[in-house]
Parts: sequence; structure tokens; C-alpha cells
Amino acid sequence: MARPVDSEPAAGDAGQLLGALRPTLLRLARLQLRNEAWAEDAVSETLLAAVEGLRGFDRRSQLRTWVVGILKHKIIDQFRRSGREVSLDAQAEVDGGDDLEELFAADGHRAAPPVDWGDPQGSLERTEFFAVLQACLDQLPAALARAFLLREWMGFETADICKELQVTSTNCFVMLYRARMRLRECLEARWFAGEAPTRHG
Amino acid sequence: MASILITCRQAHALLSGQRDATLGWRQRLRLRIHLLGCDACAIVGRNLALLGRAVRALDLHAGD
Repeated sequence: MARPVDSEPAAGDAGQLLGALRPTLLRLARLQLRNEAWAEDAVSETLLAAVEGLRGFDRRSQLRTWVVGILKHKIIDQFRRSGREVSLDAQAEVDGGDDLEELFAADGHRAAPPVDWGDPQGSLERTEFFAVLQACLDQLPAALARAFLLREWMGFETADICKELQVTSTNCFVMLYRARMRLRECLEARWFAGEAPTRHG
Repeated sequence: MASILITCRQAHALLSGQRDATLGWRQRLRLRIHLLGCDACAIVGRNLALLGRAVRALDLHAGD
């Protein structure tokens, strides 16, 4: 597709677009970093980098995706600066020993059957679903949310996550497992079992 | 872990683990066999796949 000659956004216009993204960026940064000051820093650095890079950016429809991509890099920078604290949280989580005992009977089989979520595509098109997902992520212990989002939101290899969080690979898998099971339970209780808003067709 | 038959607890761990690493063929076989006879774990497996898709979609839907 040819680029229209006048597609470069005017500076004021672009500033407004970026400003409008700030609450979203802050929300995402908080989900992942679990620390208000770190989130503010990561978002400020993201907006600065976006302003500086904006001249070369001509796909306005993809502005949000582009800026969120920058944010992911800034979040990683923040993790590296806060390595020790992040690592201590992860260690405490692993030592804490949440074994999800209530999910299973003594013989290792499921205590209660899970609810079939049906065709969940409709949910992925609903704003309310993402509000519930964010609430469920907020409920996770910080170390679990960080590990899970590094993996499934930011797409890091598991080995790299263990390195960032400074935990053994076994503990890494344990944290990811706990996070997924907790999130699954939460979504089931707060979305799929409750209002069951499955749309057919 | 010698048995080919595993519990739901073990199957859940493998369902999560296969999203983080490639399972060895023995683990894959145990999981497949378990899923043949266990609707509950099959559902959980699909749920985890959806959870992954939903989290990636946060790029577009978070904070609204």
C-alpha cells in the first residue's frame, strides 16, 4: 500500500494520541511490574521514546501496537534495574508452597470438574471480559503475575524468564503452573460460570 | 513416574508445561493417553490455550 504524502501526523495531534494512550500503558505496566513507581517510570520512558521516534512512524493505525511494543522493552529494563527485589519476591513465592490442593482429590484426580467455556471467541471481543482478566491478574501474587506475563504476554522463552527472576528452571515451571491454574479458576468463577455470556453463531 | 497412567494433577502440570517447553516423548504419550479418557483435563487444556490468547489480546484491549 502506497503511503499517502500527508500521512505524517502533526506534532500536536500525535501528542494527543500518545497522551490518550497513557492510562492504558500505565495499566499494562502495573499488571506486569506490580509496583507503582516502576510502572510510572516505565511509562514515562515509553512516552519519551515514542515522541522521539514518532517522526519516522507513518502507520498511525498501528500506533497503539507500536507504543505497547516500546513499553514491553521498558518493562524489561525496569526488571533488570530492580533485579534483587524481583528475585526475592519470586523466591518467597516458591518457598510459600501454594500446592493448589483444593483442586485435586487425595488420589490426584480432579475434585470438581471444570466448566467447559464453550466457544469463548465472543468473550475475546468484549471489553468486560478484559476487565475481569485484569482483575484476576491483579489478584495473583506479584511473582506469579510477573512470570506469567513475561511468558504469555511478552513471549519470553522460559529459560530467559528464569534468568530474569533468578530462580531455578523447576521453580520457574512451578510458578507458571500456579499462575495459570489460579487464573483459570478466577476466570471460571468470575466470567464463564457466572454470567456465562457465550454468544452463539 | 514409571507408569504410563498419570493422575489429573500430573496431567495439569504437563498441560501447563507444554506451553513453556517441548515435552519429552514419554511425557507427551502419558498426557495424550490421559486426555483420551479425561474430559476434565481436556477442558483445562483448552482453557489454558484460550488464556494465552486472551493475554496476548491485552495489547489491544487492556485498560479500556
